[in-house]
Parts: sequence; structure tokens; C-alpha cells
Amino acid sequence: MIVEKAPAKLLPIEIEVDSISFTYPSGIQALEDITIHVSSGERVALIGQNGAGKTTLVKHLNGLLKPVSGSVKVGSWDTHDHSVAQMATRVGYVFQNPDDQLFQRTVWDEMMFGPRNLRWSAERAASSVQASLEMVGLEHIKEMHPYDLTFSSRKLLALASVLAMDTQVVIIDEPTTGQDYRGVQQIGSILSELNKQGKTIIGVTHDIDFCAEQFERSILMAGGRVVLDGSTRQVLSQISVIDQAYVEAPQLMRLAEKLGWDFMPLTVEEFIHHLDG
Amino acid sequence: MAEVFGLYKQRASFIHGLHPLTKLAVSGFFLLAGLSLPGMWSTYLLVIFGLLPLAFLSRLLLELVSRTGRIVLPFMISVFLIQGILWSGGTPLIEVGPISFKQEGVQFAIASSGRILIVVGSFLWFALTTRPDQLMLALAERGLPSSLSYLIVSSIQIVPRFQARANTILDAQRSRGLEIAGSIFQRARAVLPLVAPLILSSLIDVEERALAIEVRGFNYPGPKTSYREIAQAAWEPMLQRFLLLAMAGTLILSIVLRLVS
Repeated sequence: MIVEKAPAKLLPIEIEVDSISFTYPSGIQALEDITIHVSSGERVALIGQNGAGKTTLVKHLNGLLKPVSGSVKVGSWDTHDHSVAQMATRVGYVFQNPDDQLFQRTVWDEMMFGPRNLRWSAERAASSVQASLEMVGLEHIKEMHPYDLTFSSRKLLALASVLAMDTQVVIIDEPTTGQDYRGVQQIGSILSELNKQGKTIIGVTHDIDFCAEQFERSILMAGGRVVLDGSTRQVLSQISVIDQAYVEAPQLMRLAEKLGWDFMPLTVEEFIHHLDG
Repeated sequence: MAEVFGLYKQRASFIHGLHPLTKLAVSGFFLLAGLSLPGMWSTYLLVIFGLLPLAFLSRLLLELVSRTGRIVLPFMISVFLIQGILWSGGTPLIEVGPISFKQEGVQFAIASSGRILIVVGSFLWFALTTRPDQLMLALAERGLPSSLSYLIVSSIQIVPRFQARANTILDAQRSRGLEIAGSIFQRARAVLPLVAPLILSSLIDVEERALAIEVRGFNYPGPKTSYREIAQAAWEPMLQRFLLLAMAGTLILSIVLRLVS
């Protein structure tokens, strides 16, 4: 008798953001009537200038912020009815600044923090932690103190410590800050790998070239509203609209526009291919 | 904003436009008078006829009352209970079974609560209406060594900065499944992961700020000019001097009153 290996058990989770608005206690309205639907397994980038509401929006997805009006549902869970810790079983959130997140004495303990909170068995936690460390390439420094790592390694560790919790949805805030070219490439391939596993990736980014290469869908925000929402190629090729939101189109598209092309390339390969063709 | 300006709350009031040293003198006067004047009710008179009208004029009455209350109330309640019940000897005021409230204890509690009230209240009023950077500038103009004014201002700013940081770190831990609602034990456990990153990041913060101001000539020994100047009405220096005199007068008065009684 053939015993089939159990498939990775990720239940598909849809995210429904239904006309939410949010005002900070200081009186600043950060979000205004936002409606977004994210299907399971999508790769979505949130782009826009500082203060556009990107981080405020993603903080609603794991319940760190609750909408003043409207509702946010992750799967069947309304964020109003669940604590952030409960939401953490479905939505992983990698903070922009790793130093807000890392606090244990060793890399290993840091990684175990999330799985322990989820009350996993020791074996399950350890194997998930090991796999996540390997994924970001930090498996050789388990015993080091997180604060002895370089900034870019701390950033990878913060990412890995969230991946170890094996959530269906992964939110990642400004993943490429402080990374060199190789680091950016590495983060890109990690996101691709996660996406292959069927995970939903929601990225907040200023790095428009990274957005063009890594995300299939982009949402452009300005002044707490969604300005454009569609495939990344569609969104980014509306150069005049995104200019108005104070976002610069990716360099390849700007070059293509200057060359008078109709085709808007997202990656270097596409550009070269079009140039040759 | 809270991070940059400490407790400061912007309001359209003429109090906010006053020179920082004028407000410093006013709250210094309250502080000194509250602590030195004898009598159980003197501090309450200062609060009712001095501090509260000023807070009203600053359009911060509710803000001041609620902030002061949050700090002072727990203290007041415990002082009343402890001093009222544990005062040895004394005249019983109310008796409930074996427990009795002593009149002397209650009087002591009223007096010390009043002192705390005026100290906390006048400090908060000053912090709510004065921008720390303006205060720093004003003190530097009067020849206060810049390292000292830096010390004062940074300690005013540290609490809100600390709070903001603590909240961010707590958010990051909750996002990794840390449950902070629930039993007291659970809450206590939740705070522990906060401590290390909070202290570490504050130390890093301090070092970076020290470097940042040093590269801009903080310790340069020569005379310095200021880009900004703080406006002050012609009568303000007079009021400041008057308040200084009033402080001295109050001090003498309270010594005399104590000697006489």
C-alpha cells in the first residue's frame, strides 16, 4: 500500500478589507475608505510615498490596528474579534526595523520565540526554525547574539523568525532597506520560494525596482487612499499617475518610455529580450 | 509629534506664546509656595486659584486634570488609607470594626496629597505648554551651559520617547503570537521580552544622539549664536523678576509663620 506523504497543510486564506477608515488618536486620518481583496497565494506590493498609509494599512491585517469603520477579515476571522496573538497564527508580520523585534540572547532562541508562543511541540518548532534559518542562510550562526550581527543579517533574522511561524500570509515591511544588491536578490528569491509554497506575500516597499521584479500585483496609495490597484505592469506603466503620488517609475520603464517603446519591461531580462527582438 | 516635543500640546492660547522662562518662573513659584507654606489647605488654594485658572487659559484644563489625576490619585488613595489607619494614637474619626481612621492621620494625608498635587500639577502644566526646544534655547540665551540645558530637555523628552518605543516593541512581540491580555501572570510574562530591546535601543539612541550633536559642535568652547530667537513681551522680564521676588517672599513668610506658631 502506498502511503502518500501529507502535503504541507496550508489552508487557503482570503483577505477581505471592506471599506475601512482609520484615524490616529492625534486626529490624523491615515486611511480613507479602503477596499481590497487579496486572494490566497498572491504577491502584492503596497507602494506610495511616506505617510501614504501603507504601514497603517498592513497593521490592520494582523489586528495591530482596528479600523474605525469598515471591517478586515482574514479567512473567516474578523480582526475585531481576535487578539493580535491569535491573528499571528494566520498572518506573520515582519517589522521594518529589526531592532524593534529582536531581543533574545541567541539567534536560536530568537527564532523559537514565535513557535513557542503558538504552543507547538518541541520537534515541530525546532524543525520549522531550522528550515527557516536555512532559507535565509543563517543556519551557521545559531549561537550568536542577534545584536552582534550586521544590520542586513538582523533584518534577515527578523524575517526568518516570522517565517518559522509558518503562517499562510506573510507581511513584510520595507524588506530591502539597508541591503546591498546581493541582499536584495536574496530577499527576492526567498519571497519567490515562499510564494511557490502557496503563501500570500504582502510587501510594503519604497524600492520600486524591487517591486517591479518581485510582485505580480501592485497597489499604489496616496493620502490614505488607494489610487491604483492592478497588475504591477499596469500600475507602474501609468507613469504620470504614479508621478503625482510622488513615486518614481522603475528605471527600466523610464528608459523604455524615453526610447519611445509601447512595451513596459519589468525586469532586465524582459528589457534585453525586447531590445533583441 | 509626541516623540519630538515631550508632553507638549499645541493650543491657540496666549499662555503658549509666553516666554519659556516666564512659565518656568510661574511653575517654580507654585512649586516653592506649595512645598513651603504651612497649613493643610494652602496647596489646594494654590491649585484652585492659581493652577486651574492657568490651565483653563492654556486650553488644557481637562488634559491637565486627567494627566495629574492618573499620577496623583493612586498615591492619594494609598496615603489616606495608610496614614488614616496606621497613625499611632490620635483621635478616631470613623470606626469600622477593629479598624479606625485617625483624625491626625487624615490631616497628614490631606497635607501631603496637596503637596504632591501641586508639584505634579505645576510640572505637568509647564511641560504641556512649553516646547522643550524653546526652553533649551531660552536657557542657553541666559548663559546656562549647553550640557546642562541638554540634560534638562532630554529628561523631559525621554518619557514619551520611551513609551512610543515600548509600544512598537510590544506590537512586534504580539505579532509573533505573544498574548498580552489575560491573567496578571500572563501580562507580567509579556513585559519581560520588552525590557531588553527597550534598554538596548535606548542606549544606542543616546550614543547616536551624542554623536549627532557633537559633530555639530556641541562642545565647541567659543561663543555660539542662535538661528532662532524667542519673542517675549516687554512686561515678561518684569513678571519673571517679580515671581523670583515672590518666591523669596514666600520662603521668608513661611519661615516666619512656622516660627510664630
